[in-house]
Amino acid sequence: MARNSARLTVGTRRALWGWAFVVPALAFFGLFAFYPIVNAFVLSLHRKNVLSLQPPRFVGFQNYVDLWNSAQFWNSWKATGIFTVSTAVPLVLVSLLLATLIVSRLRLQRFFQMALYTPAVIPGVVAAAIWLMLLDPRGIANQWVNFVLGVSGVDHKWLASPDMVRLSTVLVYFWGKLGFFTIIFIAGLGGIPTSVKEAARVDGATGAQLYRYITLPLLKPTTLLVSIMAMIFCMRTFSTQYLFTQSGAPREPINVVTLGIYTTAIRDYQIGLASAMSIVLLVVMFVLAFLQFRVSRTQDG
Amino acid sequence: MSRRRLTVLSFALLMSFSIALAQVQVEYWTHEDPNRTALEEELIAQFHAEHPDIIVTRVTHPSNTLAQLILTAFAASRGPDIFNMETFNEYPYIVNQRVVPVDPVAAGFGSYDAFYAAYLDGMLDPVTVGGVPYGIPLELTNWAIFLNMNVFRDAGLDPLTDYPKTWEEMMEIADQLTVRDGEIITRRGFDFRYPYYLNFMVPMAQQLGGQLIGDDGESAIVGDEAWLRVLAYFREWGPHGRNLGGPTYANARALFNFDNDDIGMMESGQYQIARIANDNPGFLPGEGWMVVPFPVWEDAVEDLAGAYYGHYWMVNAQSSADEQEAAWKFIGYMTEFAEEFFARAGLLQASQAVLDSDTFRNHPYSDVFMADLARAPAIYYGDASPQIKQVLQDAVEAVMLQNREPAEVLVTMREGVERALRGEY
Repeated sequence: MARNSARLTVGTRRALWGWAFVVPALAFFGLFAFYPIVNAFVLSLHRKNVLSLQPPRFVGFQNYVDLWNSAQFWNSWKATGIFTVSTAVPLVLVSLLLATLIVSRLRLQRFFQMALYTPAVIPGVVAAAIWLMLLDPRGIANQWVNFVLGVSGVDHKWLASPDMVRLSTVLVYFWGKLGFFTIIFIAGLGGIPTSVKEAARVDGATGAQLYRYITLPLLKPTTLLVSIMAMIFCMRTFSTQYLFTQSGAPREPINVVTLGIYTTAIRDYQIGLASAMSIVLLVVMFVLAFLQFRVSRTQDG
Repeated sequence: MSRRRLTVLSFALLMSFSIALAQVQVEYWTHEDPNRTALEEELIAQFHAEHPDIIVTRVTHPSNTLAQLILTAFAASRGPDIFNMETFNEYPYIVNQRVVPVDPVAAGFGSYDAFYAAYLDGMLDPVTVGGVPYGIPLELTNWAIFLNMNVFRDAGLDPLTDYPKTWEEMMEIADQLTVRDGEIITRRGFDFRYPYYLNFMVPMAQQLGGQLIGDDGESAIVGDEAWLRVLAYFREWGPHGRNLGGPTYANARALFNFDNDDIGMMESGQYQIARIANDNPGFLPGEGWMVVPFPVWEDAVEDLAGAYYGHYWMVNAQSSADEQEAAWKFIGYMTEFAEEFFARAGLLQASQAVLDSDTFRNHPYSDVFMADLARAPAIYYGDASPQIKQVLQDAVEAVMLQNREPAEVLVTMREGVERALRGEY
């Protein structure tokens, strides 16, 4: 044994230690993430009533064909697309702006970070419940907007009108996630070497030039990370839409794919179809994230 | 420790272990109801005293999430031994063989004949499949209209004579009672009980000759004229019409008890009476509130009240034989206290004995509820009832909140119900 060990090179030994540290995490990922995905894919090839004790019936890709032909499924994608674009883009831009402002301040940095991050620790369902009270016709949202607009008694139908209910879900999500992404940008900004900025200043760069030509390019990996995370988070949104529809808001404008998956499995009992929807969502998220990487790499080139 | 002490201790441990092994544990999931919780906790303690070998654990969940929690538990084969839900949610459990037939002996009835004889005619129909009953009634409910007399008086109306008898009057009177700050409603005259559309919307269409499911069992939303009238009524009710209320406003039933001048009328069952007494003891029947019959259309072709529905106790088919027997024994025990269920929680177990009791006769507005029950259709139940309920909800939201044309919505509503009947997505 001692002889074998002696034969291993330093590199091999380091690699073995590396594997020893990585294997538990891989096993955890495999069990709790990869296995459910494989299981969902297998289930998506079957017809299965979630209440029935009968074994699943193999139908091949019929569930995917049914989804392709379903107007409801396409409407879900429309709702998801509108939500993702309207939420993820402002999230990335505003959190970058806020992070820049906070980092540029010499005092109260921690306070602003904490204040912004607070909504991120509130569970989505609780946040949606708080917002439901604010968006009630007699709630503070109508009062505040009417005060700002200098009008009285106008009901902005935050939960009733299709466009407004979309806007309301965006507002709730934006409020909940803004602090989280701002903190990531603050960490990214903190990682930019001050020596580079100082060199640029010595060369006569103005503040705007510094930001445009030094900060933004060096922040690109963080921006890419935030934009992919924001997109994936938004595509996975569920609790706000669920709670709003449970509280009487019209389902169609905010019937995002995840809500469709839930209703297909829990209300319609069709767990095979719901699994197919989950797989489609996973593939779309994967493809979009891959495209973002590619676009980013092309720009680098 | 001496040898003698050790022997005594070992014996005691062995005995307690044997008792624990001999006990049957039964888990009971039900919806929240403060009045019933107090009563059932007492009954469980009494039951345990009489049957020390059975331990019943009662778990409550909010009524709007109970159905999904039970479904996910059953999907994972971890369902509770006993549960109750509304008829339309329970029926799929029967057809999918997830619950067992009633054990009339364990439940204390002796036979199926005696079991059926204990309840009003037809009350066990929603849980009878193939001539076999699968549930025991916890409650049978029909909704009438609860009316806040103070709100009526405040609007210059006499609640005893001016209450709405027709849906047309309902809209006019609700409009008179409604108070607004610009477009924002600060007091609603009446509002529906969203999203329980099977309970009130379907009977509204039936009054005009419409049918949810045709006589052939395959056609859906039969009688265009009736359904178009109902959809147009809801559109007129909502924010794009006369702005009298809608599903995004706070639940009318939850506000009513507190008499805060924010709701004039709402729909509910007899259990509401015990809840009003609980929430607001000073808000008294005949002085502060009263109950009037479910309205009908002026030109109704059928005199129907709101649909009646039941909550039935059911027993999990995957529980062991011992657990099933213990479960039916416990449920049977609960039915022995039907009068207490009515007196303390306002829950009618639909047995003739309760209807004949003084407790029932002297209960406020029992006569109104019974008269309505006599003209009430049974709520729709079938394999796809939860999906059909969702289709109706989407239709009402489309006309009321999205301001879509009733004729256009009628088409999608029919397609949706027919798809649900065929089991399609």
